[in-house]
Amino acid sequence: MKFGPKAAAAALILSASLALTACGGGAAAGGAAAGAPATSLTLGIVQDVRSWDPAQAHVGHLLQPYQAVYDTLILREPDGKLSPMLATAWKYNAANTKLTVDLRTDVTFSDGAKFDAAAAKANLDHFKQGNGPQMAQLNSVSDVAVVDADTIDINLTTPDPALEYFLSQAAGLMGSPKALGTDGIKTEPVGSGPYVMDKAATVKDSQAVFTARKDYWNKDLQKFQKLTLKVLTDPTARTNALVSGQVDATLLDPKTGKQAEGAKMKLAANEVDWQGLILFDRDGAKNPALQNVKVRQAINYAFDRKTILDQVMLGQGTPTSQPFGKASGAWTEGLENYYSYDPAKAKQLLKEAGYENGVTLEVPSIPDFQTQISVVQQQLADVGITLKVGAALTNTFTSDVAAQKYTTMYFSLFQGQPTVAINQIISTKALYNPFKNANPELDAKIAAVRNGGADAGKLAQDVNKYVVEQAWFAPLFRVNQMYYHNAKVDVTPQIQQAVPSIYNYSPAK
Amino acid sequence: MIRFIAKRLGSGLVVLLVVSALTFFLLYMSSGSIARNILGDQASAEQVAMKEHELGLDEPLVARYLAWVGDALSGNLGASWFSSEPVANSLATRIPVTMTMVFAAMILIAICAALIGVAAAVKRGWVDRMVQVGAIIGDSVPGFVIGVILVTLLAIQLGLFPATSTISPDAGADAWVYSMALPVIALLINGVTGGAQQIRSAVIKQLERDYVRTLRSRGIGEREILFKHVLRSAAPAGLTVLSLQLIGMLGGVVIIEQIFALPGMGPLAVTATGQSDLPVVMGVVMYTVVVVIVVNLLVDILNGWLNPKVRVS
Repeated sequence: MKFGPKAAAAALILSASLALTACGGGAAAGGAAAGAPATSLTLGIVQDVRSWDPAQAHVGHLLQPYQAVYDTLILREPDGKLSPMLATAWKYNAANTKLTVDLRTDVTFSDGAKFDAAAAKANLDHFKQGNGPQMAQLNSVSDVAVVDADTIDINLTTPDPALEYFLSQAAGLMGSPKALGTDGIKTEPVGSGPYVMDKAATVKDSQAVFTARKDYWNKDLQKFQKLTLKVLTDPTARTNALVSGQVDATLLDPKTGKQAEGAKMKLAANEVDWQGLILFDRDGAKNPALQNVKVRQAINYAFDRKTILDQVMLGQGTPTSQPFGKASGAWTEGLENYYSYDPAKAKQLLKEAGYENGVTLEVPSIPDFQTQISVVQQQLADVGITLKVGAALTNTFTSDVAAQKYTTMYFSLFQGQPTVAINQIISTKALYNPFKNANPELDAKIAAVRNGGADAGKLAQDVNKYVVEQAWFAPLFRVNQMYYHNAKVDVTPQIQQAVPSIYNYSPAK
Repeated sequence: MIRFIAKRLGSGLVVLLVVSALTFFLLYMSSGSIARNILGDQASAEQVAMKEHELGLDEPLVARYLAWVGDALSGNLGASWFSSEPVANSLATRIPVTMTMVFAAMILIAICAALIGVAAAVKRGWVDRMVQVGAIIGDSVPGFVIGVILVTLLAIQLGLFPATSTISPDAGADAWVYSMALPVIALLINGVTGGAQQIRSAVIKQLERDYVRTLRSRGIGEREILFKHVLRSAAPAGLTVLSLQLIGMLGGVVIIEQIFALPGMGPLAVTATGQSDLPVVMGVVMYTVVVVIVVNLLVDILNGWLNPKVRVS
């Protein structure tokens, strides 16, 4: 039996073929790293856009791709300031029910159509009827009227202090009126933005490639010749792509961030969400203990927020007792540590409320927050509160929340503009107020915000104070979004966004 | 032989129909909150109802299934609820990526496993022991862990390969080769060690059979016995193992594709399932069933060709 040579030959062939591919691979990878011109930008994005129809645009990191091809009526600066873009000026009437918007006259779309008042109206109408994920942004708009070629009136059913902000977001994206409503715009955007899509190089869910648009009206916002958005769903893939130089910037998390820092990547951190408990059942419909404000306050006093943050999130964030974000205007210094860690006080409050024998809370389990939930469980147990962790949240959770399935929930929520936050977690129409808790005092404060116009942020401080004092929530901390980039690009974080706006990148100086 | 194939194809179609019905009803029965998922947490109840109507979720389930089958027969698998992209299009761009990777890995597995397995069976001694130890190590380290190790070592430290896929329409064939190399190796190692182990046992079993002793007593050379008789008889066992590995690999590639950001079926399946994008999920399930049916058919045909007894029974 002489099989030695054959087995050896097989091993040889195998190793030779591996070595061959390895050599070839070296050439390719090297070429990609060195060959990229300074004016190209490649970003690792978490998820591809569903449809390029501007009416289907989203918020946060899902807004960025649209900004490449569509201009918004209003530009939101990195610090949140609203500046002219396609709109040159805008003004409310005295009752805050009509916004008159002046428009640029020198802008065309990439298909040659002209941007004017009729185009702006067509877009706002299209957005309102488009049934997209952000259609609620124009809920307060009754109709849009063309005043003259470069002016529109946006009429509102009720004042909405967030409208100007929305016009810098999904609702403000302007597509070519010729393309709106066609099937073509779903896969190939037609806007007036700084870049146009290179359709031939774009593959759904893999990469979207754009080139700088010739004669773009605002060269200050067009800083690269080529823009590639590479879809990298998996955090490990994003880390590897960034560290090996395949992408210039991407979103990571505290753990993968350590690896990026080891490879000398730069961090542009930004607080966008808050994490903590939402105490839904404040009227005690299903869990009577939660009706008692002292019980809700006791829950708040039970947490050593700083330690949880340091241990679970590697310190990436800020402990807080308030659900409103720092950039919202509703945030106040005084509420930041309103509930400092005080287990003795928590026990005392439970006793005063008649619950010295303990309280039981139930939360759904959430795979992403497993560690947080078990720490919370531990700290609540220390003051005599039992946290029962139920079945995992599924992708039907929004309906489950709305159907009052949960009385308490650990979650991470976006910290937006005051009215956005109110509509999300506080008003009786908010999804995260499923038991529709309300009282006249709070209603008056909310109404004041809605009618407050430019003072909405300041007026929302009263709402914030109310829900903190009444312990509607048990916030733990605001979480840092860990956006990393290499030395080839400069990146300015954008408030309230995990991923910066597309205008915030520039070639490194 | 033709009747044999026709019978197999017929039963394959029945399986396809049964699985499609089961999947459809299981998926769509719990599709109540999908409109809400699509519209997000700020949408009103009326907006949700409108979306449900738009998606046809207010029609009876059976009617929807029959419509789906009718469309599917004409090659129309519907469109994604989230992106409106036709499901058939999504599959058409992704199947080549996954299939290239799976078949490249399978061919290499078949060759390497056969060589190593036969060597272990014939040689025994230290070669055999190495294969046994290798099988245990190979089986105990999952493919995605090997993938992560490969990326860290070969892509990030040494820069020999791209860390994530560079496959795109403007990239040439070389991008395919470089992008596929690490994922294929990651898939390969488990397959080779497991496959070699099975082929080794099958060959040893055959070598111990009486007919081998008879052949030897007639003075027929060892090489002829091995290649003409033993391998032929051991092949069905090897083929079955390989076909099972291929089907198992359809699950394994999901994670591998995520790690290497390959635009294959894996990310599509994960995203669609997470979002409850049911038309896409249906498409993915149909694709999987078709692959399983085709692979089994091919294995049956190969077995029949190698061993006439299979055809008769």
